[in-house]
Amino acid sequence: MMRRWIFPILAGGLVALGAYQATLLATPYALMYAALQKIGGAGPANRFAFSQMATADNQPIVRPSPDLSYSTCVFDLSKGPVLVEVMPVPGRYWSVSIFDARTDVAAVRSDRDTQGGPARLALMKMGQKSPAGYEPVLLGYDRGLALIRILLANPSEFPVVDAIRRKSTCKQLPTAN
Amino acid sequence: MKAWHRYAITIALALFGGTAFAVHQVRGGLNDGRVSNGPWETGKSFGSVDAGTLTRAKVALSGLMALPAKEAMYFTATRDSDGRALDGRCTYDVRGGKLDGRWWSVTLYEGEGWLVKNAANRWSVPASAVTADAQGKWAFNVSPDAQAGSWLPTGSVKAFDLTLRLYHPSADVIKNPEKALLPVIERKGCA
Repeated sequence: MMRRWIFPILAGGLVALGAYQATLLATPYALMYAALQKIGGAGPANRFAFSQMATADNQPIVRPSPDLSYSTCVFDLSKGPVLVEVMPVPGRYWSVSIFDARTDVAAVRSDRDTQGGPARLALMKMGQKSPAGYEPVLLGYDRGLALIRILLANPSEFPVVDAIRRKSTCKQLPTAN
Repeated sequence: MKAWHRYAITIALALFGGTAFAVHQVRGGLNDGRVSNGPWETGKSFGSVDAGTLTRAKVALSGLMALPAKEAMYFTATRDSDGRALDGRCTYDVRGGKLDGRWWSVTLYEGEGWLVKNAANRWSVPASAVTADAQGKWAFNVSPDAQAGSWLPTGSVKAFDLTLRLYHPSADVIKNPEKALLPVIERKGCA
């Protein structure tokens, strides 16, 4: 009687392991997809959206920092490279990070890396060409997120920081024809 | 019972069980089996390609878009320095010295990482909000009620966590986060 269950139980064990791994593997893609829909839903792809400071009533992502000003660009490389240019904010920690569809960081550049200058990144896939003056960042997926963080010591600094960050751009590389 | 009935039963149970166990583990919080330092816990591979599948899934749930360690380290405390769960109806002293990085802030969250509504509209204490003495020592209160000096409101929530962000941490902290000098969290009393 019990012997009849040995192979079904072994098969079940393998399926359980597979379901466990598949769920873990799928979780980042699913959560990133949901986040991109939520963040990008408000506007077109390949353009920065400049969020207000996070408060209890404004929490676009989980675990937001109320000390950081966030700017986001949901990018789509299916029609070619996307150029990200980030204006420096003097005397502040700031960084731009590029997240792929699996939530991995493809690149981060902060004020320490640029030594006070702007950050210029060309987001692209294998086989695409980056223009001169931009640092190439290779991605394995079409979609992802560019995120600028600027640290404020005090909320009253927001208007000054806001004016500077709005000069940052995220745009599709114009095609040659 | 036919053989395919037996397979159907075990495979259905396995699909459900395997998925449910994965969800349970992912939802189990960021802190299981990670680097501990007093009440604080952290991981060494947030947002990096080195992250294992479970860590990546957990970070995607609780800290999507986290920075890698060279930019910022995230230390989270769900307990005080005596090991008791942080309770928003209690008052705590958070005391520390100079932290080994460029800048820090401590933010209070509930649940999977949401800022708590409170009358003071304050959700974090950044380095600029505390006054260090000659030895570099500083302190602030975490409390449901307004306190003298720097204080972080709990909004009287039942449970909360504190997340310490250390920007541009030193190479020593990145390498040995378990040895970094971090603040203590001391419970003073409960309402």
